[in-house]
Amino acid sequence: MDLLDQILPLVQKPARYTGGEWNIVRKDWDKVDIKVAFAFPDVYEVGMSHLGLQILYHIVNSRTDALMERVFAPWLDMEEKMREHNLPLFTLESFRPVRDFDVVAFTLQYEMCYSNVLNMLDLAGIPIKSNLRGEEHPLVIAGGPCAFNPEPLADFIDLFVIGEGEEAIGDFLDFLRNAKNRNLAKKDLLREAARVPGVYVPSLYRVEYREDGEISKVEPVLKGVPEIVKKRVVRDMDKVSFPTRPVVPSTEIVHDRIMIEVLRGCARGCRFCQAGMIYRPVREKKPATVLRQAAGLVRQTGYDEISLTSLSTSDYTPVRSVINALIKEHAGCGVSISLPSLRVDNFSMELAKEVQKVRRSSITLAPEAGTQRLRDVINKGVTEEDLMSATEVAFREGWQAVKLYFMIGLPTETNEDLDGIIHLAREALARGRKAGARRGRLRVTVSVSSFVPKPHTPFQWEPQASMAVLKERQAYLAAGLRERGLVFNYHDTAVSFMEAVFARGDRRLGAVLENAFQLGCKFDGWSENFHYERWLEAFRQAGLEPGWYAYRRYDYDSLLPWDHIGTGLSKQYLIREHQRAMAGKTTEDCRTGACTGCGLCSGLEVEPVYAGGERDVQLPDAIQ
Amino acid sequence: MTSSYRMQYSKKGPARYISHLDLLRSFERAGRRAGLPLSFTQGFNPHPKISFAAPLGVGTAGEAEYADIELNADLPAAEVFRALSGVLPEGLRLIEIRSIPEQSPSLMAAVDCATYRAVAKLDRPLDRKELDSAISSFMARPEIWVEPKLKAKENKKRNIRPGIFALSAESENDIIILEAELKTGSNGNVRFEQVLEALVETGGLPLKSGFVLSRTGVFTKNGQEKKTLW
Ligand code: SF4
Repeated sequence: MDLLDQILPLVQKPARYTGGEWNIVRKDWDKVDIKVAFAFPDVYEVGMSHLGLQILYHIVNSRTDALMERVFAPWLDMEEKMREHNLPLFTLESFRPVRDFDVVAFTLQYEMCYSNVLNMLDLAGIPIKSNLRGEEHPLVIAGGPCAFNPEPLADFIDLFVIGEGEEAIGDFLDFLRNAKNRNLAKKDLLREAARVPGVYVPSLYRVEYREDGEISKVEPVLKGVPEIVKKRVVRDMDKVSFPTRPVVPSTEIVHDRIMIEVLRGCARGCRFCQAGMIYRPVREKKPATVLRQAAGLVRQTGYDEISLTSLSTSDYTPVRSVINALIKEHAGCGVSISLPSLRVDNFSMELAKEVQKVRRSSITLAPEAGTQRLRDVINKGVTEEDLMSATEVAFREGWQAVKLYFMIGLPTETNEDLDGIIHLAREALARGRKAGARRGRLRVTVSVSSFVPKPHTPFQWEPQASMAVLKERQAYLAAGLRERGLVFNYHDTAVSFMEAVFARGDRRLGAVLENAFQLGCKFDGWSENFHYERWLEAFRQAGLEPGWYAYRRYDYDSLLPWDHIGTGLSKQYLIREHQRAMAGKTTEDCRTGACTGCGLCSGLEVEPVYAGGERDVQLPDAIQ
Repeated sequence: MTSSYRMQYSKKGPARYISHLDLLRSFERAGRRAGLPLSFTQGFNPHPKISFAAPLGVGTAGEAEYADIELNADLPAAEVFRALSGVLPEGLRLIEIRSIPEQSPSLMAAVDCATYRAVAKLDRPLDRKELDSAISSFMARPEIWVEPKLKAKENKKRNIRPGIFALSAESENDIIILEAELKTGSNGNVRFEQVLEALVETGGLPLKSGFVLSRTGVFTKNGQEKKTLW
C-alpha cells in the first residue's frame, strides 16, 4: 500500500495531489538531459489557473532534451501529513522528490507567496538559503512579475529570469545543457549564466548601504556580469509557442476554461499599475492566430468556455471580428466566449452583451478612484459618465449585480475622493433601480483595496498610507455605504502593508523572510493564514523597521533596490509621469496619441504590434 | 433526434479522487474532445444529459460503475465507445457501452445494493479464527448504531445493521481485505466507511487508520437475486 494512498483520504481536496490530468506529459526520465520542476507557490487550484505555467510546461516539454513537471504548495493539512510521514515534496507527473530535479523554477506572482517559496524548498529537503546548497541540490530559479524586484529573495534564489519566460527559457536550457555536459561546478555555472540575457544572479552583485539605510551602490563583483539586467521580450506573438494541449484538471480550479492571450502589454499607462509598465510594449496576436489556437484548444481540452485574456481585452484592435468568428465557429457545440478584463466604457459593454450568452450574475467595473481629479492623477482615462452609462446598460441588459473596484490611499487622496466613491456607488444603485432591476436582487458591491506602491511604476517613490489612515478611510466608507443593496468589501490593511514592504524591499529583507518562515508563516495571501504578529516578530528579530520600507517617500535621485533590473522604461519617463500625476495631468496612451517616450521601444529594440494594421505611433529618434 | 447509451466504466488511480460533481464535468469534456454531439438540458444553466447510478465517495475506486449519456445523433454504440475511450483522463476507463431505449427508467432508481472491498494494514497479524469470530459476532448483532457525520443533514443516530447484507474478511500477514454487500441507492444507503469504523470501534479489529476502498459492483435486486444494471 502506497504511503500517498493512505494519506490522501485524510486531507481536503485530495485531487490537488494526484496528477493524472488530461494532457499531462510524462517523459522517460533517463532519456532527458535536463529535468525542471515548475513550482507554483500556492495551491493547485490557483496555480493551474495560471496561463504562464501552461505556456512554459508546453515549451519545455516540446524539447527532446528536457522535461518539466509540476508541483504546488500543499495545503496545511497535507503539509502536516507529509512532515509526519517524512514524505518530501513531489511532482505530480512522476511523484519524484523535487530535490531530484536539476532545476526548481518558481513563479512569483505576488509578494505574499514568498513565505511559501521558502516553505516549499524546506518541504523538498532543499536548504532554503542558496549559500548552503551544494552541488547535489537543484538550481533554484525564479521568474514572474515579482522578479522585477528580486532583492527580498536574493538570499534564496540562485538566479532570476527577468521578463517574458517563453523568450528566455530556451536560451537558458541550452546554456544549462551545455554547462551540464561540461560538468561545471555551480559556482562557475552561475558566473556563466549571468551572461545569458535576462538572467540575474544576485550573488554576483554587491550592495552597499549608507548610514541612513539607503543604498549607496549596487555593482557586479565580476567582469562580464551586466550592470543592468534587461528584461526579455517576445517580439512576435504569432510565432511564439502557445500551448494548444494544456493540462485540463479533473477538479474545479479558479479559472476553469480555455485561456487565449490575445495581446500582451497595455499602453494606457495607469500610474499605479506594474503589469502595465513591465509588459510594455503592446503586442497583439493576429486574428488568424487566435482563431487557429481556439479551434485546437476546444478540440484538445473539451472546455465549454473560451476566455480572451490580456490586461485589457477591449483594447484588442480586432476584438469584435474575432469574437464574432469564435461565436460562429464554436457556439454550436455549447462553447461560450468570455472577456475577463473590460474597461468601463460603452464599447466594452457592447462586447459584454455579445459574449454573455449565459448571463453571469454580476459584472465588474474598475473605476479605481472616486473623483475625476483623482482618476486624472492615476491616469485612469474614465469619466463618471462612462461608468454610469456602463452600469445602466448592465442593469438594463439583465445583470442584477455590479461590482465596483476602487483603491484607497492613492497619492493625493482626500475625503472628497472617498465621498466620490460613496456617490458613485449610490448613483449606480439609483441607475439600477431606474433601469428596472429587481429590487430584492439588485446589488452594488464596492470592493476597496489599498494602494501599494510598486517598483517600475510612476508611483514607485510614493509612500503607502499608514495602516491607521487606511483603517479610518475604510470605516468612513463603511459608514457611507450603509444601505439596502450596497455591499462593502475591503482588504486587510496589514496584508497591504506587508505587500508594500516586500514590493519595495531590498536584500536585507531576506533575514526577515527567513525568520518569518521559522515562525511558521505560510499562505500569507490567504487571510485566514496571515499572522501579522509573526511578521512583526520576524522584523524585530532582524532589527528592521517595516515602516521604513512602506511609509518612506523615496527620492528621485536615490538608488532604488530594483534599479539594476531593466524594464526598458527610462527613469526620466517615470519621473515625468509622476510629476504629471502630481499636477493632475493625464497622459494619452501611445496607441492613440504620439509615443510618450517611455524609452522602451528604442531601448529594447521592439515595437508595439497592432493586429489591426500599421502602427500609428511615431517613435522618437532619441528618448529625452 | 436523440439517442441514449448506458456505459460501464471503472474509476481508479488518480480518477478515484474526482468528486461526483467533477465527474460529470470530466465526462462532458471528454465528450467534447471525442467530438460527440452531447445533449444538453434546456434553460438557464444547461447541463449535459449524463446521469450516474450512485455517487461514489471521493477516494473510493469504482470497478464497474454505470452512467447513462444522451446524444443528439444516432451513432452505433461501438463508435461512441471508440470515440470516448481515447479521451478520458487517467484512471477513467470505459468497459462497455450499449444503446438503451429512449425512455429507460433512470439508473438511480434501479440501484439497490453495491459490493465493496477495503484493504488496510493491521497492527498485528490475525489468525483465521480470530478474524472469523470478529466478523460473525459483528454480523450477529441485531443493531449497529452509528453517529451522524459532521455537517450531515440528518443528525439522528442511525441503525445500519439492516443495510449490511454480507461481510467477509481475509488477512495475510499485516494486510486485511474486507468485502461487503451494502444497501445502496435512493431507498437508503449505508456507507462502507461507517461499517469499517464500527468494526474498528466495537468489533475490536486492530486496524491502522487509512483504508483503500473500492466499489466492486452496483446491482439491482429482484427478491434475493442480484442483477447487474444492464
Ligand atoms: S517607447 Fe513609445 S511607442 Fe514604445 S511603448 Fe513607450 S510610449 Fe509606446
